[in-house]
Amino acid sequence: MEVKNYINRTSEITDYAIIGNSAAGLAAAESIRELDKTGKISILSEEDCRNYSKPLITYLMEGTVSLDKIHFKSKNFYRDNNIDIRLNTRVKSIDINKMSLTCGDGGRYRFKKLLISSGGKPIIPEIKAVCTCINNNCKSSKSNSFCSVNSKNYKDIEGIFTLATLSDALKIKNFIKKNNIREVSILGGGLIGLKSAEAFLEMGMSINIIELADRILTATFDEQASGIIEKRIISKGSNIYKNNTIEEIHVTGKKISGCGLKDGRKIECSLLIIAIGVTPDTGFIKNGALKVNRGIVVDKYMRTSAKNIYAAGDVAEARDILLGEKRCIAIWPLAVRQGSVAGINMAGGDKKYNGGFFMNSVEILDIPTISMGMTNITEEKGKNIEILKDFNPGKNTYKKVVIRDKKIIGVIMAGNIERAGIYAGLIQNEIDISSVKDNILREDFGIVNLPVDYKKHLVSGEGIEI
Amino acid sequence: MRERPGDNKMKKIYIQEEYCIGCRLCEIYCQVKHSKSKKIIKAFREEKHDILSRVLVEEIGYNSFAIQCRHCEDAPCVDACISGAMQKNKNTGVVICDGDKCVGCWSCIMVCPYGVIRRDVSSRKVASKCDLCVDEDIPECVKNCPNEALKFVEKDKNKEIQVKTKDGSQKLH
Repeated sequence: MEVKNYINRTSEITDYAIIGNSAAGLAAAESIRELDKTGKISILSEEDCRNYSKPLITYLMEGTVSLDKIHFKSKNFYRDNNIDIRLNTRVKSIDINKMSLTCGDGGRYRFKKLLISSGGKPIIPEIKAVCTCINNNCKSSKSNSFCSVNSKNYKDIEGIFTLATLSDALKIKNFIKKNNIREVSILGGGLIGLKSAEAFLEMGMSINIIELADRILTATFDEQASGIIEKRIISKGSNIYKNNTIEEIHVTGKKISGCGLKDGRKIECSLLIIAIGVTPDTGFIKNGALKVNRGIVVDKYMRTSAKNIYAAGDVAEARDILLGEKRCIAIWPLAVRQGSVAGINMAGGDKKYNGGFFMNSVEILDIPTISMGMTNITEEKGKNIEILKDFNPGKNTYKKVVIRDKKIIGVIMAGNIERAGIYAGLIQNEIDISSVKDNILREDFGIVNLPVDYKKHLVSGEGIEI
Repeated sequence: MRERPGDNKMKKIYIQEEYCIGCRLCEIYCQVKHSKSKKIIKAFREEKHDILSRVLVEEIGYNSFAIQCRHCEDAPCVDACISGAMQKNKNTGVVICDGDKCVGCWSCIMVCPYGVIRRDVSSRKVASKCDLCVDEDIPECVKNCPNEALKFVEKDKNKEIQVKTKDGSQKLH
């Protein structure tokens, strides 16, 4: 990949420093530039390439997008917006009093305003590696350090990858091609696990999903929806190992040859994807300089606990409108929105982040699914929670709507996702749907079925004037 | 679909619900416009199942209206798009999905509060939505509405509002 680096290395002072070169960081830079035409914006990225869309990496792997289409901003974005982009620059620490950053290469940058949009890092579990070479003859070879000891450090074993960056995706793609891999094991049946499953299945490979819980996608699906997808995956010759995890990685030579599962079963595998989740990348925030729970805690203006320092995107812990409290919701649409709000406020504007809620879209073997909000809570009379659902076995479609205090708080759609966003609008705008409850599960549910005032608002376009 | 060069008027279609008679001609002409042949008979004989209408008529009893992309000022689909396919033209306000860039992740479908983006799986998986017929003077749905239930408005930043009706005449308001 061509690396363009519009650096001015002599400069050490910047008006706006932005850590991270993805959805939130670039949305912020754009918003800043709209309000402040001249202030210096510096983006620090630890990666070595121009912006790319992280959610596209699975599409790159399956071949739906090519390398030249993985960028979500144009080639001239940095130049057009007069942005100073520093690649290969990992921030090591932040001094909130001196308002300065220290980078891995020793560089120091002073800033007037800082946005932390460093995203997330994949969680790497400790798994024991076990040598399975025939006759253990590898032990005599000094060059083979993995096999000679039962190493817990498996990251250099060939065939084991995380899938979080462009470089991960390219490595996996090459590995599959080079070794003609037809089967892959995926540790983790969550969002990343399923998104990579979508890609591998699209490539015609078979998959083994190893999931700790008793079903896949526990965070966003209920049992019925998980079941529909699991059944589909299994019907195509793939396997799902539930209530299970990998306890041993079997290594032959320098390569992974299989896995030993918790329940004692063994699976052969030459490609393993570790996809058990991500955690906010806050390693450079030291000694409690900023308030960090799981992510960096921000207020409705995306401000952190320190003056002039903002956070947005997967690293930020902002308001969840359904929980009524702050939490990390690592999804693209919210990263863009938060980044944009942060940028406006950094440049002296006044914009509030109204909060968001979790949502996810994944299509597995031609079954599209969309889930949003709180989808897996049980009906409780005292809590005013009501659950409406409809499964159509003929069409293999499923729709579920969770209602709390007359408002929708969760939706699952599988098989048919037409007009899913109407439900998202109802959640976001906290619309009382009690008058239209009887129609809410209709297959053709549309704007015409909405409460009168909200329908009028949408149809006559008030508030969305040109 | 290519926008007309030098076109920088803000555009929007307004829905006049009270005039809609639910005839669905807007849907038909939208499909013809987005067909390969551009001919009504051919389109319906040979391509019908492959062309989605980007305008949707909704009706219950006598209440009906036609709705298509509202080309929102602060468009959630543009924010949600992971590939950069969904873009809003800052001059015309038109939100267009670039089919070459779209990967069919359906994030736009997930966030559009109007539910007017559809899943087109007739060939490659792509999001299908109203493009305001930017290569035409007036969008087909507006042009072919027999009862002016859809109104096309163009705003020149410096001039008065121009409303285009189905016969192409312009009224100054």
